Amino acid sequence: MNRALPEMLQCSDMTVLQRQRARLKWQTEQLRQQNYFCELSGVFTSQTGFQQGGLMNGAGGGDSVLSNMGMSRQLKPDPGLETAWPELGKINMGFGSCGYGNGPSFDMNHAISRTSSCPPAVAAAVGSKPVEVKGNSEKMGSAVGRESFKKRKVEKLQNSKVVAEDEYKRIKASEEEEEESKITGPNTIKISNNKKQNSGDTSKDNSKVSEVQKPDYIHVRARRGQATDSHSLAERVRREKISERMKYLQDLVPGCNKITGKAGMLDEIINYVQSLQRQVEFLSMKLATVNPSLDFNIDNLYAKEEFPSCTTNFPTVGMAPEMTNHSPFLQFNPIQQVVSGCGVEMGMGMGMNSSDMALRRTISAPVSIPDASFLNTTCFTGPQQQIQPSAPWEVELQNLYNVAFTDTIEASDLEMEM
Amino acid sequence: MWTPCGMARMRPHSSLKQEFLKEWIKGLQRCSFPKKSILERKKAIKLSADIAMASARNGTTCWSRALISSAARDGSDNNHLVKQILGPESDRPAMENKAPAREASVCKKILKRSCRIRRRGRRKCGAAAAAPSSIAKHLVKKRRQILRSLIPGGEFMNEICLIEETLDYITSLRVQVDVMRSLATASVRGTE
Repeated sequence: MNRALPEMLQCSDMTVLQRQRARLKWQTEQLRQQNYFCELSGVFTSQTGFQQGGLMNGAGGGDSVLSNMGMSRQLKPDPGLETAWPELGKINMGFGSCGYGNGPSFDMNHAISRTSSCPPAVAAAVGSKPVEVKGNSEKMGSAVGRESFKKRKVEKLQNSKVVAEDEYKRIKASEEEEEESKITGPNTIKISNNKKQNSGDTSKDNSKVSEVQKPDYIHVRARRGQATDSHSLAERVRREKISERMKYLQDLVPGCNKITGKAGMLDEIINYVQSLQRQVEFLSMKLATVNPSLDFNIDNLYAKEEFPSCTTNFPTVGMAPEMTNHSPFLQFNPIQQVVSGCGVEMGMGMGMNSSDMALRRTISAPVSIPDASFLNTTCFTGPQQQIQPSAPWEVELQNLYNVAFTDTIEASDLEMEM
Repeated sequence: MWTPCGMARMRPHSSLKQEFLKEWIKGLQRCSFPKKSILERKKAIKLSADIAMASARNGTTCWSRALISSAARDGSDNNHLVKQILGPESDRPAMENKAPAREASVCKKILKRSCRIRRRGRRKCGAAAAAPSSIAKHLVKKRRQILRSLIPGGEFMNEICLIEETLDYITSLRVQVDVMRSLATASVRGTE
C-alpha cells in the first residue's frame, strides 16, 4: 500500500481529487503509526496563521512555523485528532479556495516550503491542506517538479521558487526515506538534518543569488519537458521579455484587450500605427489648406487650452493679431467680439478654466493695443478672482506666447511693409 | 524591473504636447513660407511636425534618430527644408548623418542575403509549412516585417527593441495627432 500509493499518484489518469483522497487515507494510516498529532495540530494552527499572513517568504515562514510548533503544543489523542479532521476538512475548503484563487505557483511554493520545514507534517499530511498541497504539488511536480537545476533566474520571484523547489526536492527525498523507515526516532534526526540542510541551503542559495546578482548575466531555469541547452533557455528569456512588452502595448492600443494571440495583437498595432500616421497626414493637409501663410501662433495657445478642458466656445480673439495689421478702426471689433464672447462664457458658468482667463490676459498684455486695458477691465474683473496662474504650465504658456507672438508680429509687420 | 522607455520617460502628457508644439512652431517659423502649392505647405507642416516630435525625444529613442537622419540625408528631396527646420548646427541633436546611412546599407544587404537564403530553404521544405505552428510563426513574421517598415528605423532593430520603439512611437504619434487636431480646429474656428 505504501509503495503503491506514490505510483498511483504518479499515474495521470487519476483526478486530483481522487489522488487527494487516496493520499488522505494513506496519510491517516501513516498518522496512526506516528504520534505527531500534537505537532500536527500545532502546525495546523500556525499554518492557518500563515495562510492569512502572506505568501511570499517560503523559507522564512517555514522556520517560524517550526518555532510555533514548539510554542503551541496541544496534546490531542487520536479520537481528538479524528474530530479535528472535520475542522480540517472545513478549513480545507477555505484553503482550497485560497490555494486555487491566488496565484497557484506562489501558493504551492509557499505551502511546499512550509511543509518542507515541518517534515512530520509532510509525512502525516496534516488535514487536507497539506494533502491538497501534496496532491497539487504532485500535479505541479508533473509540470514543474523534476527540473534541471542548471541555472537560476536572478529575479525575486524565481528566487523564492528556487528556494522552495530546492526544499521540495529534499522533502521528497526525505519522505521516501520516511516511508521506508517509519520510525519516529530517526525521523526526528532526519527532520533536524533536513531543517539544517534547508536552512544551510537557503543561505547558500541566498548567497549564490547575491553573488550572481553582481555580474550582470541572466540565469534561467529550464522547465520540465523543455530542452535545457543554452539556446532554448535564451530563447525562452527572450520570449518572456517580448510578451512582457506586448502587455504594455496591449494597454496602449485601444481594443487590444480581448486579443490574446501575438499575430492578432501585432495586427492591431499595425493598424493603429497606420491610422495614426494617416491622421497626421490628413491633419497636416488640413492645416495647409486652412492656413495659407503658416502662421499658427495664436491658435496654438487656444489649442493648448483645449488640452486640459473640453471644447468651449472660444471667441474669435484669433482676429486680434490680424487686427494689428489693419487700421486701428478695426481694432474695436475684436474687443466687441471678446466682450460678447466673454458674456457668453460667463453665462455658461464660472466653469471657465482659469487658464482661459490667463490666456486672454497674456494675449492682451504684450499686445500694444491701447484697448488692452479695456479688455482687462471689462471682461476680466469678474472672473479675475478665479485666476490662479500658479500652474507651471501656464507660465510656460505665457513664455511661449511671448516668444511666438512677438515673432509673428514682426513677421506680419514685415509682410505688411513689403 | 523593466519599464518601457516611453513610460519611464513619460512626463505628463501636457508637457510633452507643449514641447512638441514649441518645437513645431519654431520649425515652421524657420521655413521660408512656400506659398506655392498646398502640397508644398503640407509637406513643410508634416515634416516640421515629425522633426519636432523626434527632437522632443532628444535622441534617446531609435526611431527618433532614424527619422531625423533619414530626413536630413543628403540625397533626399526635402533636404533644404529639413535643414531650415533643424536650424543652425547648434540646435541639432547630436546625430551623425553618415554613420546611419552606412549602417543602413550594410544592414539592408545582410537582410537581403538572409531573406534569399530563407526563401531557398522554404522552397526545399515547402511541405513542412503545413504545420499550424509554422503557419502561425509565418504570420507573425510577416506582421513583424510590416511593423518594421512602419516604424522609422525599424529594420535595424531586434524584436524586443522593436516593441519598445513601437510603444514610444505610438505615444508620440498620439501627441502629434492631438496637437495637430486641436490646432486645426482652432484655426478653423478662427477663420469663421
